[in-house]
Amino acid sequence: LDMRTVSVYHDQPYSNAGQPAVVNNVSSPLTVPPPALKLGQEGFKKVCRTEEDSPCPFPGLASGVLEMRVKEGSKIRNLMGFAMARMQGEKGVSGGGLRQVVFTGSGRAVTKTITCAEIMKRKVGALHQLTKLQYKVVKEVWESSEGGTSEMTVHRTVPSISILLSKDPLDPQEPGYQPPETLSALWEEREGIESSTQTACKRPLGPLPYSSFPHCKRVCLGEGVSVHPLH
Amino acid sequence: MTEPRNPGMSSIPQTAPVHTDSTSPAVEMDPVEYTLRKRLPRKLPKRRNDVYVNMKTDFRAQLARCQKLLESGGHREICVHGLGLAINRAINIALQLQASSQGVLQLAANTSTVELVDDLEPEDPDEAGEPMTRTRNNSAIHIKVFYPDPQ
Repeated sequence: LDMRTVSVYHDQPYSNAGQPAVVNNVSSPLTVPPPALKLGQEGFKKVCRTEEDSPCPFPGLASGVLEMRVKEGSKIRNLMGFAMARMQGEKGVSGGGLRQVVFTGSGRAVTKTITCAEIMKRKVGALHQLTKLQYKVVKEVWESSEGGTSEMTVHRTVPSISILLSKDPLDPQEPGYQPPETLSALWEEREGIESSTQTACKRPLGPLPYSSFPHCKRVCLGEGVSVHPLH
Repeated sequence: MTEPRNPGMSSIPQTAPVHTDSTSPAVEMDPVEYTLRKRLPRKLPKRRNDVYVNMKTDFRAQLARCQKLLESGGHREICVHGLGLAINRAINIALQLQASSQGVLQLAANTSTVELVDDLEPEDPDEAGEPMTRTRNNSAIHIKVFYPDPQ
């Protein structure tokens, strides 16, 4: 058995977003495809995909808050039908329903997650919002369909989003906070603060000490197979 | 903002995938007789530190541009915007900026809905088809990437 572990930074299945691929335990005669790129076309098939637990982006959130986990194939009407019913409570009862809901999604489900939150804001109204972004580690196990003897474990990091919507006020100082009904006000507000940000930017700043960003054009995997970031 | 919509048009063949939100009303459309033209999104603020992420430009080039603004551009904060499919990329850029700053940079993300307009133009002007427009919504993200003020 030939077992490898590969870590790839990843945004969508066909890119690694210019990040280095970290490869552990590579020991094989290399006909290995670049990780994250064309495993499927090279005779590998994905046998397992698990999301590793990541810390809750909203510390201090009451346990038992409704968490809607949006997946790539989730239907918006199903998600919204369920979530709206829980938020609105029983018909005819005023003040019923949950106070808060969290929408989370990663990878290709991110856009759908935002869309769900946007629809709920429109329909429920007067909701406070807190948005958090983080990388989520997804473990995939790939198996060679030809030989059947080799297996690869790929750790990819996919961007994920968590959106907390609350009927009760949230901390406005928290980064990612959005007050209710900013749908149209967002742009005007941004233009309004332009002057202040412009002056703030005039502070002369020398080259900051953060210039050590990895300029990673291609990362060699094992014996010379390279990863070409497509995105 | 009340300015008129950007008149610029990009002609897209009928077969192009249309990324619709869930809210667009279904307009009956005969694929033979109409050309779908997607107008550009409405004009948005363009400060020096606004970065609009798209799916056409190379990812690394867009990341490098943000990097440059924050490092040598002398900006304490930049705003990374992404619409629809480009949301993922905008988030990726923001998270990678944060990671490469050793966690010094902070992110503040806001979401919004952007209304987009499509024009439906009859292929054959002699036929009865009327030019139509149809609006649909798409989600967008706006991520402020900033150095927090020293407390």
